[in-house]
Amino acid sequence: MTSDPDRPPQELLHGETRQGEDLRREETDAPPVVLLVEDDGLLLMEAADTLAEAGFTVLEAPHADQALAVLESRADVEVLMTDVDMPLGSMNGFALARLVSRRWPRIPVLVVSGMGSPGPHDMPPGARFIPKPYAPSALVRTLHATVRRAA
Amino acid sequence: MVVHDTDACPPAGDGPARQREIREEILRLRALLREARRPRRTAPAAELSVLPPPVPASDWETRLATAEELNAQLRASEAFTARLLAASRDDIQVLALDGTIQWRSEGGRANAAEAAAGTRWAEACTLWAEAWPEPADRRAADLALAAARAGRTGRFRAPSGPPESPRWWDVVVSPIQGADGAPERLLTVARDVTEAHRAEEQQALLMQEMAHRVKNTLALVQAVAAQTLRSATSLEAATDAFNGRLMALADAHDVLIRGAWAEADLAAVVAGAMAPHIDAVQDRCAAAGPPVALGPRAVLTLSLMLHELATNAAKYGALSSPAGRVAIAWTIRDAAPPPAGDGRAMLRLHWRESGGPPVVPPTRCGFGSRLIERSLVHSFGGRVALRFPPEGAEMELEAPLAALQDGAA
Repeated sequence: MTSDPDRPPQELLHGETRQGEDLRREETDAPPVVLLVEDDGLLLMEAADTLAEAGFTVLEAPHADQALAVLESRADVEVLMTDVDMPLGSMNGFALARLVSRRWPRIPVLVVSGMGSPGPHDMPPGARFIPKPYAPSALVRTLHATVRRAA
Repeated sequence: MVVHDTDACPPAGDGPARQREIREEILRLRALLREARRPRRTAPAAELSVLPPPVPASDWETRLATAEELNAQLRASEAFTARLLAASRDDIQVLALDGTIQWRSEGGRANAAEAAAGTRWAEACTLWAEAWPEPADRRAADLALAAARAGRTGRFRAPSGPPESPRWWDVVVSPIQGADGAPERLLTVARDVTEAHRAEEQQALLMQEMAHRVKNTLALVQAVAAQTLRSATSLEAATDAFNGRLMALADAHDVLIRGAWAEADLAAVVAGAMAPHIDAVQDRCAAAGPPVALGPRAVLTLSLMLHELATNAAKYGALSSPAGRVAIAWTIRDAAPPPAGDGRAMLRLHWRESGGPPVVPPTRCGFGSRLIERSLVHSFGGRVALRFPPEGAEMELEAPLAALQDGAA
């Protein structure tokens, strides 16, 4: 994550996010709201920290059913980021992604997983896929670009 | 399918042709013998001059005996060849150059009978390539036939039989050369490689599964590294903390691998997590509880949690002084009384330190307490309480057993 041991990691992350021209414009707007669906507490913790530092408001859900409950209860979610394998819920991340893109077509979807690349019918049209593990900066860039395109 | 028997349609080679020659020779010799034994009439002089000189009957008899012995040898050889072909479990077929089936071995006929009704194999296919159920395999079969017609060897692997439990065949198609050396017919030998094929499929699946696990493990290590750097006070502290956490994950993997990555007993998880932190003092750490099988995710999370508690205890708590003790105890509480055990059973685990220096509650929320407070609650739908009374740090966690036992890594 950081290659310069003399600088605290947080500073470096902020420095990274400021490099992008487009991100500067984002900073003046209200922070975009991302719904993070991930069953592993540690991975969720790290992804939430990364996105919060990059200027997102992060909502969390451990499985698909809770993610749907969040989407039903609030209208400000701008982007969904979901893991695939989530044993506690009633559906996996691909099914959640397809359901969300049907019920809330204005919310763009990003799927992350360690299980190689998705099959031909796994992803809803227009959704993005990022394999795990990912570079935090790449995740932030992709999410910003996704939100901007949807706006 | 149409199957000709060996006599109606000779399989190959010059054996039967030679046999036919010999039979004709025997008939000719018998006729000559009959002629020689018949009392001779006086023939006109003109005829006598063109006839071959008379051969003694005994000579004819010798030649006949030789021919009959040769015939018997050939019959034995032919019977042996037939038994040889019948002994093979391979599906051996002889085709005309156009791919029409002319002969099929006993092993092949058994396969055809075994193939379930309704599949193409059970139908009457006169064209060998048409018997393969999948269009792609029929194309592969046609290509193999073309190769054999051109004097080469064609080879492919294809399934037959019911789609839910197919048999797999390694098929070799080669030319049977005629007297002029050009392909005269085609020989197909299909060997049942179902077992090997299943083993290969299993291996591919395992490789895929392993790739998935490695990616997940790397993502976990990445998160541990990033979180360690986020909360570290110095690079040295970060290095120490990261190494300790990596070792804890490695120990948890050892515990998991002993259980074939399916499950591990909680006692083994506790022992594995505590081992690096326990010095030579006897009974410093007491672990007690019933046997509980945990799934891989729970093993990794609990191992990291216990590692954080133990590291903290070694730095500031009970494990930092010779008199300090750690007690880890767990129970299973069934929401419904057995045997109804409806999956709502809860695991309750208690960590209690005693005998250490007076505890001063931490002033900031480090990785360990964040992990403990967020990870378990989030990952398993449990609840956890971390307390720092002066007599020793305490953690109490409760989580649904079903969530802790889930098989996914």
